[in-house]
Parts: sequence; C-alpha cells; structure tokens
Amino acid sequence: MSLPLLITEQNILEPSMKKYYLVARNTWDQTIAYRLNFVMWRFRVFLSLITTYFLWLTLLPQGKVIGSYTQPTILTYILGGSIVSSIVLSTRVADVAEEITQGDLSNYLTRPVNYIGYYFAKDIGDKGMNILFSLFEITIFFLIVHPPFSFPPHYVNTIEFIIAMLVAIFINFSINMMLSFIGFFSSETWAPRFIYYILLSFFAGSLFPLDIFPHWLYILLTVLPFSYLIYTPMKLYLGQLSLSSAMLALSIALAWAIILYFCVQILWKKGLKQYSAEGK
Amino acid sequence: MKYLRLWWFLTLNTLQTTLAWRYGTLIFLIGKFLRFGFFFFFLSVLLGRAQTLAGYNATQVFFFYLTFALVDSIPQLLFREVYRFRQQVLSGNFDYYLVRPISVLFRSLFGGSDLLDMPLTIINIVLLVIIGARLPGISFFSSIAYIVLLMNAILIAAALHIGVLCLGILTTEVDNAIMLYRDISQMGRFPIDIYKEPLRGLLTFVIPVGVMMTMPAKVLMGILSPQLFIISCCIGIAAFLLSLSLWHYALRSYTSASS
Repeated sequence: MSLPLLITEQNILEPSMKKYYLVARNTWDQTIAYRLNFVMWRFRVFLSLITTYFLWLTLLPQGKVIGSYTQPTILTYILGGSIVSSIVLSTRVADVAEEITQGDLSNYLTRPVNYIGYYFAKDIGDKGMNILFSLFEITIFFLIVHPPFSFPPHYVNTIEFIIAMLVAIFINFSINMMLSFIGFFSSETWAPRFIYYILLSFFAGSLFPLDIFPHWLYILLTVLPFSYLIYTPMKLYLGQLSLSSAMLALSIALAWAIILYFCVQILWKKGLKQYSAEGK
Repeated sequence: MKYLRLWWFLTLNTLQTTLAWRYGTLIFLIGKFLRFGFFFFFLSVLLGRAQTLAGYNATQVFFFYLTFALVDSIPQLLFREVYRFRQQVLSGNFDYYLVRPISVLFRSLFGGSDLLDMPLTIINIVLLVIIGARLPGISFFSSIAYIVLLMNAILIAAALHIGVLCLGILTTEVDNAIMLYRDISQMGRFPIDIYKEPLRGLLTFVIPVGVMMTMPAKVLMGILSPQLFIISCCIGIAAFLLSLSLWHYALRSYTSASS
C-alpha cells in the first residue's frame, strides 16, 4: 500500500531526511549568492505593500467603518497579510515546468530523491529567506510610519492562524505543482500561471479582505481555494470568525489541501508516462 | 517614413513569432482582460463602500485608473524589445545592431513592439472617452492639455526605458530594472494624493510617477495649476534629453565583451 508521498514515503523518513534539509539550506545559500535579484524582488513586494497600505489609510480614516473593519483592523490585515503572503506564496515550483520541458527532470529521476519532496524542501528554504526579509521590511515600515497594529485577541486565534497558514502553504504548493505539470503535456506553461497570478492577486485577499465584496461573490470565493491562502488566515488572526465558522473554514481549507494533493499525485503519474525527456 | 515602415515590418515579425504560440497567446490575452476587468470591479466595490478616495468621486477615480492603464500599456506595446535587450547584449547580437544602417536606439527600443496589447489599449481609450465625458467642467483647452501631458508621460516612459537599455549595456542588468519600473509605475494606479509626504513629493518630482499618471487626469479635471503643467512638461523634456546623453555615454562605453 503506498503511503502519501510528501511526508511519509520511505526516502523522506530515513536518514535521508537530512538530504531534504540540505536542499532547503542550499536554496537559502543560492538566494544569498544571487542576492541582488532577491533584494530587488523584496523591494518590489515592499512597493506593493506601500501602495495597498496608503490606499486603505486614505479610504478608511479614523472613526470610519467599512464592513467589519475599522482603520486599525484593516491596517493590521494589510500588514499581517503581507507577511502571510511572503510565507504562503513564495515558491520555487515554477522552475519545475522548465525542467520538464527542457528534459532536465531526467537528472532527478535517476537520483534517490522524491522529486515533489525535493521541491517542497526548496520551497521551505525559499520561504525562510522571504520570512526573514519580510520581517525586516515590516520592522523598517513600523519604525518610519508607526502604523496601528493589533495582535490576536485570544491564543486560540493564534493557533487557528498557524494551522490555516500551514494548510495554505500546502494548497499553494499543490496548485503551483499542478500548473508546472502542464509541462508534461504542453510547452506553453507560463500562460496558465499568468492567469493563476491574476486570480491570486484579486481573490487571495492580499489587496483587500474578501468580505467587502457583495455577499453572493464572497460565498462563491469561500468555495474556491484562493481565499484560504491569505484571507482566511488573517481573518482568524484578527479573531473575526466564531469558533464554528473558524472550524468550517479550516475544514474546507483542509479538504482543498487533500483534494489538490491527490490531483498532484495523479498528474505526476500521468505526466511521467507522457514524459519523453525532450531536449535531452 | 523609412523608420515607420521598418517599425511596421519588425512589429509584424514579432506578431508572427507570438502567434506561433496560439494557445499561450490566447490565455495571455484573456489574462490581461481579466486583470483589467477585475481591477475595475474592485474599484467599483471599494468606492461603493467608501464613496470617495482622497476627495475624488467614483467617476474621477475611474478616470485616474484608466489614464494610468493607458500610460502603462502604450510603452509596453511600443518598447517591448527592452525586455529582451539583456539577451541581445549577452549573446553578442547587439554587435549586429551596431553595424546596420539604422539607429541602434530605434532598433533596441522599437524592435519588438507587441500588438497583443492593442485590443486592450483600444478598449481603454473608448472607456476613457465615455467616462471622461461624464467629468464636469471639461473644456477644449483642458482636453488639449490632457493630450499634451499624456504625450509627456510617454516621453518620460521612453526616457526610463532608454535608461534601462543603458543599464543593460553598462552592467547587463535589465530584468530587475524593468520590473522595478513596472512596479513603481503601479503606484500610480490611484491618484498620488493618497500617499503622505515625503513619499508624494518623491513620486511627483524624483520618480515622476505622478507626472506620468496623475497630472494628465488632473489637468483635464481643471485642478492642476499652470505652473505644475509647465513643470511636468519640463520634467518630461529634461528626462528625455538626459536619457539620450546617457545612451551616447553607454554606447561609448560598450566593449562588446560577450562576443
């Protein structure tokens, strides 16, 4: 009986856990080696944060309320969402598509590594660096702007927030992996990813909380996986969901993570049958 | 005339290359329309809730956004070759540009205009006319001033793209610089009045996002002083002349090391 590939397959559990740690550390070192690219990337993320922050600061002056948001709660949402975005959305999985279409995947198939696990480890290294930089940026931002910021009202909200974020990491990883696996069937992999980024930028909740949308659209969005990437973790952080709503949201997110996990496995197996190491 | 014919020829070549990837091209096109539509929808939801943004009503905010979108898309349409410039320098192909009997700057800047941005640009212009007509107090002169500042914005965009080309020659660094330009210009999606000082001043006069994106709409609405109009034009001309000097300097410094 085959066990779930990402966390329990033999080659991950055994002393070889170390090799995935080394992959994560190599990714970290790689990022430092090409630091100009990374610093520029982070600067661009920071610019986007500044725009969103000032937009909401202007839209929601002190004392005004939009939906369930006052100025301090919306600014906490935007700033916290920026850190969540750095943790959840940072990924190296886009490289997988190129490795498939260029035939470089063959190099990995002959090695004693689980390819999906290998990329998950790379993502961990990448996320580590992104977390470090986003905390640095936010600290600078706090020192200059002194924005209002609140912490979760109860420790239960912190636990819910952390669980939601971990599930979100799996959801985003799986969707990105599936998008890259398009490379098994077509060389045009960037266009679907472009659409995914557009959907993310509007429906993950980094630009604005999704519950400002009309109710019918909000309900529709809570059915889709995007809202569980940033919006749900931040709502849980703010303590704006009742315990039953929080459990429901976490259950849907978990269901998406499981469904997407199996989709990744199916696509991987089908893709490998199709794979012809073209270009090698 | 010769350069216009050449531009058309090069643009058609680029279009043919793009259309070789039909499926991807179609999805990219759909993606661009979706992004435009989603942002419009987002703005309408936002303004439905907040009524005004920095004192501007919904029609004005839409007009600011459409002006931004136009100023953002025309340079993308025209100067797309800049995005491929690094590869030309690294591969040594840039040497071939230098020996041909056409302007190297023209080839590097206009050599791969992307007509795929055309449909959205046309829709953008139509929407600008429809929404612009709903703004109160528009006169013939303010419309002319608007067009002048739009051209000024394209001039600044050209200057910034030339700056990126120079950076490409001097350091082979293009990708980050061009994406940085894109991200900074995105700050002009909303009127720059939303930013606090000193950021607002910086975005107006140092990195002229305000001059490019916000000033044209303001002049049409009749809320831009004549002094700021003249300063905006001066910034545009100065930026362009400076970029040309930088270009000549970069060409003189080019060592063709990659070939």
